Amino acid sequence: MDSFVEQLKRGTEEEFTEESAWDGSAVNTTSSSLPAIYLPLLPRYLRHPTTRGRKATEFQETKKACLNYIQDALLQHQWQRAAEFMTNYLETLENTSAEKRMAAPEVIWRIGTEILCHHSKSTIEEFNYFAERMKNLGVKRYLKVCLEHVFYLLCNGLIDEAYQNLSLAEGWRYGEQTTAQDKELKLIQAYKGLLDYYNWAKKRKAMLELDGNFADSVEQEMHSFFRQAAVNLKEIIKIPGVWDPFVKCYVDLLEFYEDYEEVRQVLSEYAYNSKFPPNPNAHVYYYQFLKRQGESKKTLMSVLKILHEIVPSHELMLEYNALLQKSKKRKNHRLGLEIIFTLLDFAGWKEHVKAWSCLAKQIKQILENSGKHLDWITEEWNSRKDWWPAFHFSHYLAKRNWQENESLACEKALVAGILLGKDCKYFKYVSHQGCKAKKEKFQTMKKFVKKHSSAHLRASGVLDSCTHL
Amino acid sequence: MAATLRLRRLLVFDPLTPCTRRPPRPARPRPPGLGAAAQCRPGAGQPQENFIPLRRTKGESWAPAEACAVPFLPPNASCRVPTLTPHDILYVGQIQRKHQASKTGGAALDFTGQLARFFLDHPEEAFGAMGRLLQENFYLGEARLRSKARENAISVKTLVQELGRRAGRRHCPQLQPSPRLRRFSCLSRDWLFEVPLGLLAECIHEDLALQWAKLLFDDAPTGGALAWLPTNDVAPAPRGCLVYPGGEAMNLLCFQEVALEQVAGALQPRAHGRPAQFELSGRVRQVAAAQVAGEALVGVRSDHHCGAWRLQTGTAPVPLQVIRTDAPASCLTVSPHLPGELSVCTLSGAVYLWNVETGLQRLRQDPETAFFREASPWRWSEFTSHPRVLSCADRTGLQCLDVRAPASRPFDLFKVGGEAECQRGERVMLPMYLGRAHPCQHLVATQFSVYVLDERFPRVPMLRWEHMLEAPPICAHLTPGRSQETSHKVLLGAHRTQELLLLQYTGGSHSACQLAGPPRRLHPISQGLQHLPPQATPWQGLLHQRLAAPAAGVTAAPAGQGPLEPLLVFQLSEAGDLFYQTLLHEPPAESESSAAPTSPASLPVPAAAGQPSPAWGASLGSGSEESGRLPGTVSEGTADAGQAAAPEEARPSGGLAAAARYGCWLKALLRDWSRLPEQSQPQAPHTISHQRLFTRGELSQPAGDSPLYRQARQLLCRAMRERACLAPWALGLPPTPLAMPHPMEPWAWPDDLSKRLTASWAGGWGEWWEEKLGVTRTHKLHALRDRRRRLKQARSRRSLFGSFTSSVTYQSDLSDFSACSQPPSEPPGRAEELQPPAPVCRQDLSPPRAGRGHRPPAPGQVWPASPLASSSQRSEQAAWGSQDTEDSSQLLSSQTLSSRGIPKERRKTLRDYLAIFTQPCPEPPAELPASQTSSLGSQRWGASSQSQRSTGSQPPRKRPRMGF
Repeated sequence: MDSFVEQLKRGTEEEFTEESAWDGSAVNTTSSSLPAIYLPLLPRYLRHPTTRGRKATEFQETKKACLNYIQDALLQHQWQRAAEFMTNYLETLENTSAEKRMAAPEVIWRIGTEILCHHSKSTIEEFNYFAERMKNLGVKRYLKVCLEHVFYLLCNGLIDEAYQNLSLAEGWRYGEQTTAQDKELKLIQAYKGLLDYYNWAKKRKAMLELDGNFADSVEQEMHSFFRQAAVNLKEIIKIPGVWDPFVKCYVDLLEFYEDYEEVRQVLSEYAYNSKFPPNPNAHVYYYQFLKRQGESKKTLMSVLKILHEIVPSHELMLEYNALLQKSKKRKNHRLGLEIIFTLLDFAGWKEHVKAWSCLAKQIKQILENSGKHLDWITEEWNSRKDWWPAFHFSHYLAKRNWQENESLACEKALVAGILLGKDCKYFKYVSHQGCKAKKEKFQTMKKFVKKHSSAHLRASGVLDSCTHL
Repeated sequence: MAATLRLRRLLVFDPLTPCTRRPPRPARPRPPGLGAAAQCRPGAGQPQENFIPLRRTKGESWAPAEACAVPFLPPNASCRVPTLTPHDILYVGQIQRKHQASKTGGAALDFTGQLARFFLDHPEEAFGAMGRLLQENFYLGEARLRSKARENAISVKTLVQELGRRAGRRHCPQLQPSPRLRRFSCLSRDWLFEVPLGLLAECIHEDLALQWAKLLFDDAPTGGALAWLPTNDVAPAPRGCLVYPGGEAMNLLCFQEVALEQVAGALQPRAHGRPAQFELSGRVRQVAAAQVAGEALVGVRSDHHCGAWRLQTGTAPVPLQVIRTDAPASCLTVSPHLPGELSVCTLSGAVYLWNVETGLQRLRQDPETAFFREASPWRWSEFTSHPRVLSCADRTGLQCLDVRAPASRPFDLFKVGGEAECQRGERVMLPMYLGRAHPCQHLVATQFSVYVLDERFPRVPMLRWEHMLEAPPICAHLTPGRSQETSHKVLLGAHRTQELLLLQYTGGSHSACQLAGPPRRLHPISQGLQHLPPQATPWQGLLHQRLAAPAAGVTAAPAGQGPLEPLLVFQLSEAGDLFYQTLLHEPPAESESSAAPTSPASLPVPAAAGQPSPAWGASLGSGSEESGRLPGTVSEGTADAGQAAAPEEARPSGGLAAAARYGCWLKALLRDWSRLPEQSQPQAPHTISHQRLFTRGELSQPAGDSPLYRQARQLLCRAMRERACLAPWALGLPPTPLAMPHPMEPWAWPDDLSKRLTASWAGGWGEWWEEKLGVTRTHKLHALRDRRRRLKQARSRRSLFGSFTSSVTYQSDLSDFSACSQPPSEPPGRAEELQPPAPVCRQDLSPPRAGRGHRPPAPGQVWPASPLASSSQRSEQAAWGSQDTEDSSQLLSSQTLSSRGIPKERRKTLRDYLAIFTQPCPEPPAELPASQTSSLGSQRWGASSQSQRSTGSQPPRKRPRMGF
């Protein structure tokens, strides 16, 4: 990687020697002491007279100007104008510079697709026609164009055409080009598998609705769809990557045929194989599958534990916390408290009522339980006491929470009162407002806080930081 | 490895997406903005065929209301140092020898010019000591030296005279150095200079190379030096505070209170009161701001100092603390979670957490980059959804660092490489935390693309979009959508090119990220030039310089609480000028209007010379009538520049007010310039005395009696006094009607060319041509041959079709093709029966290939270089009939193969392969490759006869070209 600059430099040098015209399109500012940033385009204001290389021919200049106009039109959403320029730009396929001629089909494909997607008068037929032409303009990106075409069809609801296109593309062979586009081919097969899965699902629905007479033939068809889909989907899932929809479909297929072992294997591979990028969804799928299977809580918790390590702010953490609370081990209770504290560290959970009520409930439990595990709270609080007051329990937040969500303010006030003492601004403000509104629960809360905050926590040093506020 | 890496992210789901709904997800990265739309992913937990593209075609449509960015505040009066341009440091002209271009990528730096200037401007520093030493020995007087004095002194009279003669002609390329001067310089080169010449030149060259690198890309202004802090009170108009640098060296920090008011139907920002100003000791590079708990914290970064200010509604800004860094600071961000927290990075690779109460905490000091070696010392850090976790970025990627345990291993958020599908040479240019859109999202901009990342799904971007900006983006601004339906708007700004791009995306919490609609370019500041009246030459140059100064920051202020309220975009230029433009939401227009380019109202010419110049503030109200009187629009300027010559709809109020603002700004600018001390005023172009042009008699001639003469004379005098341009419309001359040429009688010109020109003038060229084709048989024949030749060429390209072994397209194209390939010897009488050739649009799409270096063959002539083309000249029977061995041997001869560009090592394989097809094939279907047979099953065959022929009984003549 670090030799990028060298490579680029060499690339630029080669550009000079080649017959292609030097147009200053790639300049690297390399020097041992200078930051070396590769600039894809030399900005127009920096085009300078150079003494090396050939001057661009008029043809190159015109085509470049044309491309600039097209870009300009595209960025201003003037599709008609872009299309008009485009008809002139097509000549670039005959570009005298070999390098540009090679790049031309792709440029035309991309711009053309963009215009056809947005132009108000373009039709699907035109798009199809264009895509067909583009497929044959250069075999190097045949499958890419096919895939893109299929996506377009799918998004426009033309599932059958898409399927037909996928089948055609799947059978495409072109010597070495086929192997070079292996990953596109894999994708095409996978998408075909996906569509097969949809057909299968349709048949399944039909079969469940029909009973008796035709069910046999429908079932036959369904099985053939199953086979096609399963083969393709299984294939793509083996490659390291993020394949959530494919995995979901494959799991659904297998579960219908009650092949649970395979599902378990696929999902655990998908979640735990280190070659795959860390994917929280994979853990969720595995967890949900195990839950459907009615696995033991221990297994479920072990899955969630790993998820907690990857994404401590995941929504399932509340569920994990609930599981931990239900367990009988003290260690798990401790872990549950830690999880709920960690969850509330994240900005996204700042105003989550359920999370706060969970925390309030657990702290209450600990305190009511004669404060045996007060050190748990102390420990969690120690690492947070320097920033939680400003992050969660400021006067401004008290006002806002009270206005926007009373129950949230109530839960938070309880926690604040216990952790920071009854003198903390948040608790004072909310309890004052609550008492003014004459609500019963605030009285009890106040009493509770008064009883516990002074006696236990101050002694254990939890309340050191309340002087900060 | 790379291949598998790339495949990984075909489909990604938002991790927090509820399982009941599966929004779509990209399959692969899109090409640059120009890319096909799709990348879809299936909808749904319940199998339903609902595919949603990664890039939605339709999105909210936002368009600028004005034709260009409009000045917001009066020009920065004290800015007089022009920014560096390439012309200042580049050598323009011929260089004799091949120069070393490695450092600057082909640019030749004009360091000799700089040296020369240094010697001329600072002779004392350059030659002082030696000059004093030699003073006694150099005689400068006119008179001859007497014998006594000659012992110790030499006369340099002639040398000085010669130098004096050349002083005025220094730039003449033809100037040959005189032998005497050359001898003197050879003699004195080693000892005359205070600093050895070689050393000095080397240093200057090095510095110029540095300047040049900065011209190409400067990372110091990353982040932008403009911030908008809205205040909570919305009535009567939304207000806020604009924080920007100004002053001579951009070292004056200003806090300007601004209200966004509706004036005559258009939204306008209006400054309230004077700005609170703080003079700093360095140039302000970046202004960062965030609002936490009802108060705003503003961080300001200059090269070696960073400062923090606190701003509360209704009170003056309070400076809190200043820190000094040894290495230049490269980044300063303000925490969106905790009041009084900032993060600072320096070019030495250090990352600090800065709490204005407790001070600095160093989190990391690592001169190495995170993922692979990269020379740039640039570092950046942002806050994340966890207030105790910072993201640290360098050019190679982003890592997350825990403040509580800085020594622990950071986790990777983004890495330039295969997983994110980065291109070669791609580097991180600007990371930004998108916490206001979604707590977990981050934006990363590179030279090529922008990525939206999710902390929960590290390393695999949620969105990728190639932004197509000419220069890398260095500042960005997020305007979060107010509800789930409205999109988040991201403004990306480039530095030197002033480009500004608006991107929209949706999703994050309830659905996956999705780009909404195509991106939109907003007006760069320099676009105003096209709409301004021409100025006198030196002013015009300065105005250009001023408006084209690099952009220094961008921010946006929504005009209200509603989701589709107008958006005001503020732009700051490096000259310290503030501009704004209003973005209006366009309701989704139906068919017609979206096809026709809708461009905003053009700006009428603002106050021309001679109008009374109102004070800046007062002009706002009266602007519309004043400029309403002014003649003409400048849309010609845009048309000539190739810009959209689009139909313009009138939006009177906004356009005129904007014009008035621009007029006032221009006046203020010119006034400021004329007050500058002489030497910093623009240099007037060389003038010649009118006495050279006119004789005294001509000048003293009494003017004509007509009032027009008098008026013209007065205007001329005034223009000269004011040093303004004398515009033709100022004279109020009625445009002289052009003499119409005599009507032409087209029939008087019977030749072909004239007829054709006449027809095309009338717009009926196509019909004329067709008629022309039909006139004579020979012409028709010619035309046919011509067309055939094109088809043949097309056919040679269509050899690609040979590869589609099982494609319906292939079959249908073949049928097209065979219908077209009639032999040229066809009797002319049958020509009418020919099927029409490929449709016109098809030819448009792939114009006939003019062979490189080959002249297109004359009609009917065999193209000798291409065996394929020559074989297609045969009759259809021959073309589709059995292939004779002679033909195939010709095909296989190495000359032919090499002429077709097939490398030597592949020729044999090819020959072996092709040899199969020269043998008779008894049962063609059995010979189909496995892939083909397998796909035949799922095939719906199109037109039967052709396909039968090519797959069935006919030898597959096309197939030999497989694999080229």
